Amino acid sequence: MLKIINGGIETVIEDWPGRIGYLDNGMSSSGAFDNVALGLANILVGNPPGEAGIEIAGGYFQAEFGIDTVISITGTDMKPTLNGEPVPMWEAVEVKKGDVVKFSHFGELGFRAYIGVAGGIDVPFYLGSKSTCLFGSYGGFEGRKLQKDDIIKFGKPYQALSALAGRKLKKEAIPRYSREWVLRAMPGPNTCPDYLTKEGMDYLYENSFKIQLNSNRSAVRLAEAKDLAFARPDGGVAGGHPSNVLDHAYAIRGTLNICGNTPILLIADGPTLGGYMNALQVIYADLWKVGQGTPGRDFVRFIYCTQEEAIQARKEQREWLSEKSLA
Amino acid sequence: MGQRDYNVILDRLPEAGSRPEVLFRQAGDGFLQVEYGAVPRFNLVDSFRVLTINNAVKAKKIKGLYETVPGLRTNLFHFDPEALSVRDLISAIKEEEEKLAQVEDIEFESRLILLPIAFEDSETKKAVEKYVREVRPDAPNVINGYNIEYMALCNGVTVEDIKRMVCGTEWYNSGNGFWPGGGFFWPLDPRCAIVVPKYNPPRTWTPEGTVGIGGPCLYVYPTPTGGGYQLFGRTIPIFQFAQKHPLFKESPTFFRAGDRIRFHEVSEEEVLYIYKHVHEETDYEYDITPGIFKVRDWLDFYTSEEVQRGYKELLAKQEAGTKIAPKV
Repeated sequence: MLKIINGGIETVIEDWPGRIGYLDNGMSSSGAFDNVALGLANILVGNPPGEAGIEIAGGYFQAEFGIDTVISITGTDMKPTLNGEPVPMWEAVEVKKGDVVKFSHFGELGFRAYIGVAGGIDVPFYLGSKSTCLFGSYGGFEGRKLQKDDIIKFGKPYQALSALAGRKLKKEAIPRYSREWVLRAMPGPNTCPDYLTKEGMDYLYENSFKIQLNSNRSAVRLAEAKDLAFARPDGGVAGGHPSNVLDHAYAIRGTLNICGNTPILLIADGPTLGGYMNALQVIYADLWKVGQGTPGRDFVRFIYCTQEEAIQARKEQREWLSEKSLA
Repeated sequence: MGQRDYNVILDRLPEAGSRPEVLFRQAGDGFLQVEYGAVPRFNLVDSFRVLTINNAVKAKKIKGLYETVPGLRTNLFHFDPEALSVRDLISAIKEEEEKLAQVEDIEFESRLILLPIAFEDSETKKAVEKYVREVRPDAPNVINGYNIEYMALCNGVTVEDIKRMVCGTEWYNSGNGFWPGGGFFWPLDPRCAIVVPKYNPPRTWTPEGTVGIGGPCLYVYPTPTGGGYQLFGRTIPIFQFAQKHPLFKESPTFFRAGDRIRFHEVSEEEVLYIYKHVHEETDYEYDITPGIFKVRDWLDFYTSEEVQRGYKELLAKQEAGTKIAPKV
């Protein structure tokens, strides 16, 4: 088990692919914001890649281990320490009862760090997933972010601890982070010629958008797209602005919602239905990058992707999040 | 870089009989949106069709189809593209669309749920006060601490008329969404079709069970949350995370697509009493009547001279009211 000393800015329990099958009840999937960092953290400690881990956004998390186990730390480099000594990232590390892990803030590149624990995090499944939905206050650990004095239990390790300690990733398996996150995206469902002009669509694919500070696990707001060209003067029966549509389902996770002139990526805990158009969709295999985009600092850029390429990318990601990535 | 292809309409079915044109729109590598009509319209008949096709496609138990999300005139299909190709999914949907020629013949299961409502209750008042205090002190949609007078203004009617219209129609659920357990309800009697603008900017807090309306759509807030609909009262719980009450044993949510709700006015004390008997004593018995919704019967009612005359009268009042009511 783990005793929380400082919950930090926003630390939650998340698994992957999250809570699938409840969109028509207004419940988004939630799940790890960066499923690649969580997946690799799990592989290192011998878990299936979708097992629940600890997701630390921003930083300042601190906790004490109540048992001997093996952990891994992945994601952005928050300068993690164990009993005050730097602890290596992207490898399996032994910890003893009484050891204290401590994080600084998010690193030069990336925004979220993950702790994988042998056996995963033992919280109850809620509607098929251990993921926290912060906006609905359910799932994960009591439906909320972790705070001081919380006791987090671990699952039974999938493999012998002695076989896990010291496992590392191949160098090429460690994801590359940047300040500009290139997201492969497919157009649709609301594009040209009826919703945006061709120039409007080109604008989305040819510009870089800054991630706004008021982003969260539900919505990643991007800088206003002033020159976004709509193909119609207004929303007709749905409302005054051309971005208005009669309420339709949002393709959560990863759709680019156009709210007025503000593009918003709807993500983990996002709304499932609403009255704004959606111009493009970040492909499944690139959703993880959205979780590392730093609000107020980083940019996203969309590049065009076809269905075939997106399916190929899914296969590649599955290979990536497997023991083949171990050194 | 190759040419970008923005044509996302992967396939279409032509208009036939009462079926509007069906568009199959790409919505990412794991989503497909089915939409009725190239030109959007607000017509409940589209929703009856969406739900009918939705049930038929789900009954096929297609491998790789995770879930569907019906909306008023669209349906979103969430699938695993490695197990199910989008082409095969479209074929399966088209098959059902071709089978359903006349929407007038549709009949579907539809429960009638009676919900008590306390108008202008103290919890709603707190939410409105908080909005004025923390978000918008000069909000024109807040009059005497509530939104109901503003709703009356917008529709050119009295507060009593608004209460009568809320309780005077069955409200049809086109499907759940936005927030866990919330349904999107539309008036089946057009003479009760209140229309109001939404908050600008939205609220940061709404109490559990608050009833609001935005545009023509009624919503019951399942849990405390933000929101943008005009608030006028509070009903009983429609959601329970803890799943202690027998109604919520199967699922924490209550409403199903196709349900109808009808409100009747009670005192705030009664609503609070019921909260206790849902969440604590867990012995409150919800008033639910199973039934069948027959589209033909509804169309006969909807298009009848009396209903249409009343609807036109309301539209005239709304047009006059819109001119007087301050913009939000």
